[in-house]
Amino acid sequence: MKLRNLILIILLLATSKVGAQEKYKLSGSFKDLTFKEFVAKTEKLLPVKFFYKDEWINELKLGEYPDCSTLSCVLDNLFKGSALFYVIEESGNIVITNNYAVKISSLPVEKDNKFLPPSDFSSLSETQRTAEISSVEIGNPAEKNNPGKAAVSGYITNKDTREPVAGVTVFIQKLSLGAITNEYGFYTLTLPRGIYQVKFSFIGMREKTLNVNLYGAGELNTDMSSVLIPLKETVISAQKSVTLQRFEVGAEKINMNSFKLLPTSMGESDIIKSVLLLPGVQSVGEGSAGFNVRGGSADQNLILLYGAPIYNSSHFFGFFSAVNSDIIKDVTLYKGGIPSRYGGRISSVLDIGAKEGNKKEFSGNAGISPITAHLSVEGPIIKDTLTYDLTARTTYSNWILGLINDPSIHNSRASFYDFNGKITYDFNKNNKIDLSGYTSHDAFRFKSDTTYRYNNNVIALKWRHFFNSRLFSSISVNNSSYDYEVSSQYLQTEAFVLAHKINSTGFKADFNWFLGRNEINFGLDLTRYAINPGSYLPYGDSSVVAPTRLQMQRSWEGALYIDDKFLINDMLSVNLGLRMSSYFDFGPQTVMIYNPEFSKSTSTIIDTLNFKSGKVINKYAGPEFRVSLNYRISDKSSIKINYNRTRQYLHLLSNSTSISPTDTWKLSDYYIKPEIGDQVAAGFYEVFSNSFEASAEIYYKSIQNMIDFKGGTDFIMDDNIEKDIVNVKGKAYGLELVLKRTEGKLRYSIGYTYSRTFVRSISDFSEEMINSGKWFPANFDKPNDLIITFNYIFSRRFSISSNYTWSTGRPITYPVSTYAMYDEVLIHYSDRNKYRIPDYSRLDLSFQVNGNLRARRLIHPNWTFSVYNLLGRENVYSIYFKKVGDLYTGYKLSVFGRAIPSVTCSFDF
Amino acid sequence: MFILSCIYSNKKYTESQFKHLIRVIILIILFMFNSCISQFIPSAGISADLLVVEGLITDQPGLNIIKLSISMPLGGRSITRSLSGGSVTVSDDMGNDYNLSETTQGTYIPDPSFQGVVGRSYTLHVNSGPTRNNVNYVSTPVLLKPVPPIDTVYYERQVLASASDGYPSQEGCQIYLATHDPENKCRFYRWEFEETWEFSLPYIVPNSHCWTTQYSTNINIKNTSSLSEDKIVKFPLNFVTNNTDRLKEKYSILVKQYSLNEEEYSYWEKLQNTIEQVGSLYDMTPESIPSNILCIERPEEKVLGYFSVSGVKSKRIFIKDQFRGIVDLYTDCENAVIGPVEDPVPGNLTLGVNAWVIIDHREPPPPYRIITFIKGCADCTSRGTTVEPDFWKDSK
Repeated sequence: MKLRNLILIILLLATSKVGAQEKYKLSGSFKDLTFKEFVAKTEKLLPVKFFYKDEWINELKLGEYPDCSTLSCVLDNLFKGSALFYVIEESGNIVITNNYAVKISSLPVEKDNKFLPPSDFSSLSETQRTAEISSVEIGNPAEKNNPGKAAVSGYITNKDTREPVAGVTVFIQKLSLGAITNEYGFYTLTLPRGIYQVKFSFIGMREKTLNVNLYGAGELNTDMSSVLIPLKETVISAQKSVTLQRFEVGAEKINMNSFKLLPTSMGESDIIKSVLLLPGVQSVGEGSAGFNVRGGSADQNLILLYGAPIYNSSHFFGFFSAVNSDIIKDVTLYKGGIPSRYGGRISSVLDIGAKEGNKKEFSGNAGISPITAHLSVEGPIIKDTLTYDLTARTTYSNWILGLINDPSIHNSRASFYDFNGKITYDFNKNNKIDLSGYTSHDAFRFKSDTTYRYNNNVIALKWRHFFNSRLFSSISVNNSSYDYEVSSQYLQTEAFVLAHKINSTGFKADFNWFLGRNEINFGLDLTRYAINPGSYLPYGDSSVVAPTRLQMQRSWEGALYIDDKFLINDMLSVNLGLRMSSYFDFGPQTVMIYNPEFSKSTSTIIDTLNFKSGKVINKYAGPEFRVSLNYRISDKSSIKINYNRTRQYLHLLSNSTSISPTDTWKLSDYYIKPEIGDQVAAGFYEVFSNSFEASAEIYYKSIQNMIDFKGGTDFIMDDNIEKDIVNVKGKAYGLELVLKRTEGKLRYSIGYTYSRTFVRSISDFSEEMINSGKWFPANFDKPNDLIITFNYIFSRRFSISSNYTWSTGRPITYPVSTYAMYDEVLIHYSDRNKYRIPDYSRLDLSFQVNGNLRARRLIHPNWTFSVYNLLGRENVYSIYFKKVGDLYTGYKLSVFGRAIPSVTCSFDF
Repeated sequence: MFILSCIYSNKKYTESQFKHLIRVIILIILFMFNSCISQFIPSAGISADLLVVEGLITDQPGLNIIKLSISMPLGGRSITRSLSGGSVTVSDDMGNDYNLSETTQGTYIPDPSFQGVVGRSYTLHVNSGPTRNNVNYVSTPVLLKPVPPIDTVYYERQVLASASDGYPSQEGCQIYLATHDPENKCRFYRWEFEETWEFSLPYIVPNSHCWTTQYSTNINIKNTSSLSEDKIVKFPLNFVTNNTDRLKEKYSILVKQYSLNEEEYSYWEKLQNTIEQVGSLYDMTPESIPSNILCIERPEEKVLGYFSVSGVKSKRIFIKDQFRGIVDLYTDCENAVIGPVEDPVPGNLTLGVNAWVIIDHREPPPPYRIITFIKGCADCTSRGTTVEPDFWKDSK
């Protein structure tokens, strides 16, 4: 039934309309039924299925047709005088079209020299006569001699999944003219009236050609089938890897169906964990927040939810994703070839698309796992127009901690919850508004005197407007904040509350404009930031803590962008993009000036500068070029090349290997320059043997103005962070190889990555140099990385999936010698990251049972049995040296010390 | 310059309790995930022979010592490798030079009458001597800041475990320190302490009553710049558990309070961060902390240690109190050869070398004796001295 809502498709099969229509006898009266009621009734009586767009038939009412005894007769009468046409396929599908008729050649082409009736148009050449080509008339034949050109536009969908296909080349050889479909599968072309062969091609899809008689402006929608054999028997839809379907090098779309099958840790499906299974994405270790994309640090990833940035993407400091996977429709990770509409982060964009509420009926899902319970409900408020989707999740870990018989843990608390809500108002064909909100909260308490809390809050309003069939727009405003607060009453006299907060408000206007053979995207992106770097206030009356507030940071980031995607010929397409990025840091602010002859420290301050409120302290601006080139070698393979530059003004100050709970956000300022990243990447993609996909990508990246710290520096409540900072630059390169089987009962993916990441400190002073200014491996430099995932679907009810990860251990700094000072034995460390921890290896397994498939049953239970770290391997997270007596002993810490089994149960209703 | 840095001093709030909090959170999480910690033996790294300087110039005579040594490879027993034959000079900002002479190996002291003057800056000059190619090192000038006296050193009894099922309760002793600077100027503090305690062996042996002394082996620092007053009311200095005999008879602690300038405070804090604050998921990237001493000939050479210049004040307290559940250290002593006095000493044992008599003539008859294999059970001088320290009388 859902298919009805899809934008319409011409199912062009070489069937005879005349022959088919007589099959469906219809008797009885349908007078005064709405078209929908008529469809419902007919579908019950006859083995047919209707396809149409709701807005076409809203006004239709059936009349009395006494002479009709067949379905086609009724439809002929009904559509008389309207712009609607229909075709009845042999299979029983009845496809209704608006403004143009579908004509199916009734005789085998070989026997007919002129299968296109209007022969007064230029005649066709012999080569165009192929059996598969169908012909379509667009526009009113009466307009055929009108002067000027006519616009043709339409949507291309995947025949199997009914999803729009982005990046399809629509090409007319005769005119050497073409277009590429946008992310909605939409394209538009302006052509002189006449007869054309329109070729639709896309890697991984069977090439398709249509003969078009163009009389006037109209729509030409079609679908394309994949060259892979779709699997229709399983619950999981046969979604192809989108890697191959994208224009950009290094864009990865996560398939939500296979995502749901992935083994979980502690029973929680986790979007960030599944991102880690993609080639080129690594993390420092288990339980660490954030991820590293192609040698970038964790703060260089822009994580977008509802189009707004998320500043802390995890619960429990990295053990769980902060975003509940129930709300996710799709997830795209751009690790290279970042489209020009995105900016502000160097390494990647992780765009989390949220689903909209069910337009037809109320539905929901509830479930429990060892750590959390969750509930989601969705449905229409006004059918087909106004919908909601609400999701909540909470832990009951407090209860678990309460069971532990250790007094310090027994009295401690650790918990989180999150809530998502989205209201979508689809008020007419051309306008759609949605309002989304998200909040997440984590809280910890130790004994009764110390607490730690952190929160994320997002609110976003988005308005999508279609001006006409060639110009789309999306305007959005959002606000996102992250804050943490620590309080301690351990010592009454020094009881304190420490807090940090970042707040950003964004405005975004995106336009998508089809102009001839170009698809042009342009827009504006504005963000206002306000950061409280830290405040340290007394807690309680007996505290002597002096209230301290670090200077607020206020700034604006603005960008204008434009890119043009155009076809050079049907094989080669190019995307040229430019993003003009700028940044302004505003007062009030007091800035220290240091003696330039010495390394910055409190003793080298020579002056201070006071900036008044609203005065620009510093501004940075620069162009970012985004260029990509896509060469389609054949239906089954293509080559893409890409270059992009990105600038980043927001930095996460972190002196630990992974993101720590007290890390703070910092904007570029008088001293901290924006980070600039340049990446060149190239990829080769191939689909073969009907069910395999292979890809190889290489990249080289360089990053300027990254931030590192002088050894041992702790910068909580530090007002002059510049004196603790070391300016570093980075370089990264790698090769990513992937082989996938995405169809069939057994599906798998094997990914191998070889990559290196190095950093180097740049300074004139030895105090500000790490490893004497030589290149050294970054914390997340893990050269070899092998990831194998597989799933086997036994039946609709049972499936099993597993993944295996192996990678080189990350670099680490060891102590190399000991010495004594004032009777204390101390250690001296090697150069930074000179050694490595042991290799990492982990196998996970999960088994899914979908309880019941009977549609009538009210509740459908689903069970997932999962074992994380099946082999119980003690993967080393870190190695540290601690003094026992007078001797230093090495210890290795493993976050997951054994296999972690879990059971998750959820119900759909 | 000094005034400027005082006004704009960077506010650092690395409260120990704050760090503690983070560690506890991690502990809870690790507990939930069955994390494990096991010993790790690294493959032998290449050790560098680096110069270590432990230098202290104070405003008191007799406390001024510069020690030179060479770092040791990791993993071996840490015995200091003293550097002998170097030459050490301290100069001040008035143009005076003070030569230090080597007394014991690697220890260099100035004229016993020398004492630093508050408000002056001192610079250390070291020549490594012929064994290390006569390389020259120099420190940055360090200002001698005054230090306020310690207000009190006090203790609180802490219950480690309450009595249950026939086990007595166990108690430890938490020692705190309070100090304040009425002028709100000191702000950065460091403490060292030495513990001395009296103990007796429960046997009738010649050396059964001794005193022993141990020095602090942790970094004890505190910064009050986050507080409205330069006042510390309860700095947890040392915790004495019940599994030593420190609290059994009489215990004394001598605390020395140093005033640091901000650079030195920052040095100790970084050292503490990389050496003591380890083992969580969010450890700082460890790194050697640069010293304030530089090699003149080879500026890239790393020098370990620090040249400290400071005012010093000290305070001693005595603790003679009843603490419950003090562990008996001598339970293993009688796990030994027990026999009648007449029996010959077994052939593989030699009294005074690997065997000691701790009990002779135990009643009732027949008299027998216990021979132990642990020297500490039979001779308290293995852990201390029978000479009563001079200050011990002060408490009487």
